[in-house]
Amino acid sequence: MKAKLAVLAAKAAALAAGAAGGKSSSMPGAVALRICPNLIEVLSKQVRKGIIVTCGTNGKTTTNNLMCSALEGKGYKVVCNKLGANMINGVATAFALAAGSDGRIDADYAAIEIDEASAPKVFKYMRPDVMVITNLFRDQLDRYGEIDITADLLKSAIEMVPKLTLVLNGDDPLCAQFGVKENRKSVFYGISEQVLPQTDDTKEGRFCPVCGAQMWFDYYHYSQLGKYECPKCAFKRPRIDVEVKNVDLGTPMRFTINNKPMVLNYKGFYNIYNMIAVYAGLSALGEDTNDFQNLLKGYKPQIGRMEEIVLCGKPVILNLAKNPAGFNQAIQTVLTDKRKKDIIIAINDNANDGRDVSWLWDVDFELVADEYMNTLTCTGKRLYDIALRFKYSDVKVDEITSDMKSAIEKAIKTDSEVCYVLVNYSAMYTTEDIMLELKKKYGGA
Amino acid sequence: MGVHKVKRVVNILHMYPDLLNLYGDKGNIECLKKRLEWRGIEVNVKSCTFQDNSIDLDNTDIVFLGGGSDREQKIVCEALLKQKQRLKEYVENSGVLLAVCGGYQLLGKYYQLEDEKIEGLSILDIYTEQGKKRLIGNIVLHNDEIGADIVGFENHGGRTYTGNYKNLGSVVKGYGNTGKSGFEGVVYKNVFATYLHGPLLPKNPKLCDHILKRVLEKKYPDNSSLAPLDDETEIKANEYMKEIILSK
Repeated sequence: MKAKLAVLAAKAAALAAGAAGGKSSSMPGAVALRICPNLIEVLSKQVRKGIIVTCGTNGKTTTNNLMCSALEGKGYKVVCNKLGANMINGVATAFALAAGSDGRIDADYAAIEIDEASAPKVFKYMRPDVMVITNLFRDQLDRYGEIDITADLLKSAIEMVPKLTLVLNGDDPLCAQFGVKENRKSVFYGISEQVLPQTDDTKEGRFCPVCGAQMWFDYYHYSQLGKYECPKCAFKRPRIDVEVKNVDLGTPMRFTINNKPMVLNYKGFYNIYNMIAVYAGLSALGEDTNDFQNLLKGYKPQIGRMEEIVLCGKPVILNLAKNPAGFNQAIQTVLTDKRKKDIIIAINDNANDGRDVSWLWDVDFELVADEYMNTLTCTGKRLYDIALRFKYSDVKVDEITSDMKSAIEKAIKTDSEVCYVLVNYSAMYTTEDIMLELKKKYGGA
Repeated sequence: MGVHKVKRVVNILHMYPDLLNLYGDKGNIECLKKRLEWRGIEVNVKSCTFQDNSIDLDNTDIVFLGGGSDREQKIVCEALLKQKQRLKEYVENSGVLLAVCGGYQLLGKYYQLEDEKIEGLSILDIYTEQGKKRLIGNIVLHNDEIGADIVGFENHGGRTYTGNYKNLGSVVKGYGNTGKSGFEGVVYKNVFATYLHGPLLPKNPKLCDHILKRVLEKKYPDNSSLAPLDDETEIKANEYMKEIILSK
C-alpha cells in the first residue's frame, strides 16, 4: 500500500517537475523514498529475470544504457535509470516511474548504474545478480577523497551480496582486484594488444592493489589500463574471458570479440570497453551474444558523447569528459580526426563538476594543438585556469571568453572543416542548449 | 657592448612524481620551469623516482615535494627518512624547497593519524594531527612580503601546528593550517611549505617569482635579476578567482 502511494507520488512529482522545466531525475525518487523507505526493495524483487548494475568512474552511463538497449533489443522489458541519476534517489526514481499505477513492476530485467559511493546504500535494498565495474580513475577528489576510499566502498558493497557475479575490466588492476577472491564468479573483459601510443599521463594504479609493490606493465592503453604483473605477489592481469583483438580505430571501427569480427559506427577507443562490458554482462546474465553487433545498432548515444550537430554546414561535435582519463581519451579521439578543426574547451567548477580543477594539469591538453588545429578557445567558469594550462605548455590560445554562444558562432564561420567542443559535466547541458538554439538560427546544412 | 653575463642554469628536482602526484603538481613544476626559460635561463628538471631513489642535492637549486594519498605518503616517508640528514643540511644551507600538501606534512616531526603515527623528516619543528573533517575549498591568503593575495585550493585532513615560524600568508578566506589559526603554510629560510596544492604558482606569478628570486640570489648573487614578463592572463586569473571566492 505504501509502495503504491510512493509510486503515485513519484509520478506526480515527475509530472510537476517536467512542467516546471526541471531536469532533475532524482527528485521524484526522493519523494517516493520519504513515503516508502524500502521502495527499491519492494519493486526490485518483482523484476523477473535479473538485475545488473554498473559502477566505475568512466563509461557508467554509456555501458548501462547500452546494456538496456541490448536487452530491449532481445524483446525484454527493462527498468533503467537512463538519465544517469545514479545515487539512491535516482535509482528509486527509475523503479517508481517504471511501475504501473497499481504500484507494481512489470519487467524482465533491471539495468541500473550506481554511483560508487552509493553502492552500499543501494545494495541494502536491492540484491543485484551481476555487477559490472568499468574502471577506477581519479575523479572529483574534493567529493570522495582518494581512490582507495572508492575501492573500499565497492568492496563493502560486493561483500553484501554473496551470490553476485562480477563483470570486471581485466585491464584495470584496480578493477581486477575485486575478482581475486575465490568462490566468487567473475567474468573479465579486456583488450589484449597494444593499440594506442604510450603516453605519460596519470597512472593512479601502478602499484599493486594487493601488496603495494610497483607493478610491471607490458603496455598501457591509457591511464593504468594495460597488461600488468606484480613482481612481488601473484597478482597480474587475469585470464580474459571476453577478449578484444585486431583493433582498427578507423570509421567504422573494427575489432574482434573472442575472434568474432565486429564493425561498428562508434568513435573513441574507450567505447570498445563500454561495448565489451555489455557483451560480458550479457554472458553473465546467461543471454546469448551471437547477435551482439545487431543489438548495438539500436542504441542512440547519450547527449554529449561525441554528439554531432551540423551548423552552417560544419559539424560541431560536443563531448563530455568528467576527469583526466576521460579528457585524455577525448583528446586522443580529436587527434584521430585529420580535418582542419577549431577547438573550444569549457571547464566549470560547480559542485557536480568538483570544485578543484587541479586535474587540468594531469591531462595532456597541449596535444590538441597539432597541425590540424585552426583556433583554440577557452571558456567556462574556469576559463583562465585552462588558458594558463595552455600558456605554460607554450600553446597559443586565440580567445578567452565566458560566452560559449559567441565562441561557437565564431568557430562555425572560420574556414575549418569541423569544430570540437570539449566540456566537463555542468557545462554540457548549457552547451547543448546553445547548440540547439544555434541550429534553429543557422539551420543544418 | 653590454655586460657579459654568464649563462644561468637552474636545476629542479621533482621528488617522487611517481608517488606524490595527487593534485596536478605538474602545474607548479611547469610554472617554475617556464618562468625561468622565458627569461633565457636554462632549466633541467630531474625526477627522483621510487625505483632509482637517486637524490643529488649538490646539483639541485629547487626541490619540489608534492602530495600523495596516505598510503603513498608513507612509502615516500620511509624512503626519505634515509636522506633526512642531507635534506636538513640542504635546507639549513638556504637551499630552496617547495613542499605542498603531503610534502608539507612530511617536513614536520610527525603526522598523528587516528590509529597510527607517521614519523616525519623533522626538518621543521612543526607537527600535524588528523582532524575530524577534511578542510576543502578555495582559499585566499595575503602575503605582506610579496605584497600579493595568493589564491588556491586546499584539501587536507591534517591540522598543522607551526609554532613560531613565519607563515606563507594570513588567511583572508578559507581554512589554512588548522582551520582556526588564521594562517597558512610555513616559510623558513628558503623553504616554502603550503596546503595550497596543484597549480598554485600559475595563478600566483608574484609568489613564483619570489621563489625564483631566492634561487638566483643564492646561486648567482651578482646576477640575480629577473626580467619582467607579460603576466596579463596570470593576473586576470588571480583577480577573477579572488573575486569569486571573496563574494561567497
